[in-house]
Amino acid sequence: MELLIQFLTNTGYYLADFRNIIMLFVGFIFIYLATAKKYEPLLLVPIGFGILVGNVPFFKGFGLGIYESNSVLHYLYFGVTSGLYPSIVFLGLGAMTDFSSLLARPKLMLLGAAAQMGIFFTLLSALALGFLPKEAASIAIIGGADGPTSIFLTAKLAPHLIGPIAIAAYSYMALIPVIQPPIMRLLTTHKERVIHMTELREVSKKELVIFPVVGVILCCFLAPASIPLLGTFFFGNFMKECGVTERLVQTARTAIIDIATIFLGFTVGASTQGDVFLTGKSVGIFCLGAVAFSIATASDIIFAKIMNLFFKDKINPLLGAAGVSAVPGSAREVHLVGQHEDPTNYLLMHAMACNSSGVIGSAICAGILWSFLV
Amino acid sequence: MYGLEAINAANGWAMAYTGAIIVFLGLVVLSFVVSQLNRVLSFWENLISKFKQNHTVKQTDELQDKDTSVVPHHFPSDIKEAARYYSHLIEDLDQPFELTRLYEISQQKGFPHPHITISNFRQANILVPAGGGLFTWSQP
Repeated sequence: MELLIQFLTNTGYYLADFRNIIMLFVGFIFIYLATAKKYEPLLLVPIGFGILVGNVPFFKGFGLGIYESNSVLHYLYFGVTSGLYPSIVFLGLGAMTDFSSLLARPKLMLLGAAAQMGIFFTLLSALALGFLPKEAASIAIIGGADGPTSIFLTAKLAPHLIGPIAIAAYSYMALIPVIQPPIMRLLTTHKERVIHMTELREVSKKELVIFPVVGVILCCFLAPASIPLLGTFFFGNFMKECGVTERLVQTARTAIIDIATIFLGFTVGASTQGDVFLTGKSVGIFCLGAVAFSIATASDIIFAKIMNLFFKDKINPLLGAAGVSAVPGSAREVHLVGQHEDPTNYLLMHAMACNSSGVIGSAICAGILWSFLV
Repeated sequence: MYGLEAINAANGWAMAYTGAIIVFLGLVVLSFVVSQLNRVLSFWENLISKFKQNHTVKQTDELQDKDTSVVPHHFPSDIKEAARYYSHLIEDLDQPFELTRLYEISQQKGFPHPHITISNFRQANILVPAGGGLFTWSQP
């Protein structure tokens, strides 16, 4: 009988507290959004299930939890805390990215830069709210709307915040269809939304092959701290474009990125143990994340409008919303809003150009913030 | 610390505007380089194609030169055709010249039967006596 009671006191049912229940509920919401609403399922399913697994109450000291040094989850989590998974994800991302639209119209790259203003505004806001500089920088990078970049920088600067920051970043990426369209409509007129972009010129194979080489040299020389992200990103893209490593690029854009995404999502989800995750800081991070994401979108749309004052070849300001690096969610949203206004307006290719430059911009920002605060 | 005091203490303003400038500068430079990539490549390709064109023309010229100086194993029976081969040798000689000199050069060049050929040129008045044992070349 005593043995049975001892067993029962060690079960999750007995050890559960309200924070675990809340987090289990959050996990269910993620899984629901992913499966029923199809919001970023490749990210939200591993994260959501990871939240469920991470919030199963257990007897501390058994080497079960993600924060216990000898547990299996802890070893898997090493890929997050060391920045390994984000780097691998960037390799696959590079192998999937087509830069032809960006090369055809390089001025769209400026929109990728303007979107990063959200990061620096949020940095100031987080500092003003009392976060330490390293924490503030990690929170600010949510404005880049790039999950792997957010995780990478947080792992380097404020590892204790990886859970809330990763969850916030991926949540807002999944909520792009909810967050971005109202901002787009608020800041643009109907006349601006129906601007048709001129046709893109044809980009030669040589340009596509040279770009990753030029890109890695220029960007990594400027911000060497972004090497782990941009180095693998441009490497993946070079493999794609050089045309002689078809097997490698096929693996990078399928098996490798999928494996990294599964473990990244699952372990980040599992890191949200209620007792660690549900703090006042997490609430602050979620609020600031929303601010960062909204300001990034807004500042980019405004910048696109400013560009229109100077360029003869007008840009549809909706493209500004794709300057955040949520690939391809924000580009898709820009296209859908554009199509809603004028079904003959095809903005997807142009939005993808802004999107891919946003990836480069946010990785540079991460490198800059890391080098400022290391 | 909160508010502006916290931002100032963490050097937040400097971090924000320096960071923004750096990322903007980086992407502006990348954008500029990318916009010029097309031009640089077409310039380079033009340069290469011009070089190749020149090289091909040179090779063709050389081949043509070689063609004319090719020495046949047997001279054609047509004396005018034979004279065409010899005319290249005459260019190297100061006119008037001694027949022995023409004979030596044609031997050096490996022309077949120079003695008979020169004799034929004489009979056909292609080699015209200029007095003093010297001859001039009269292209048929």
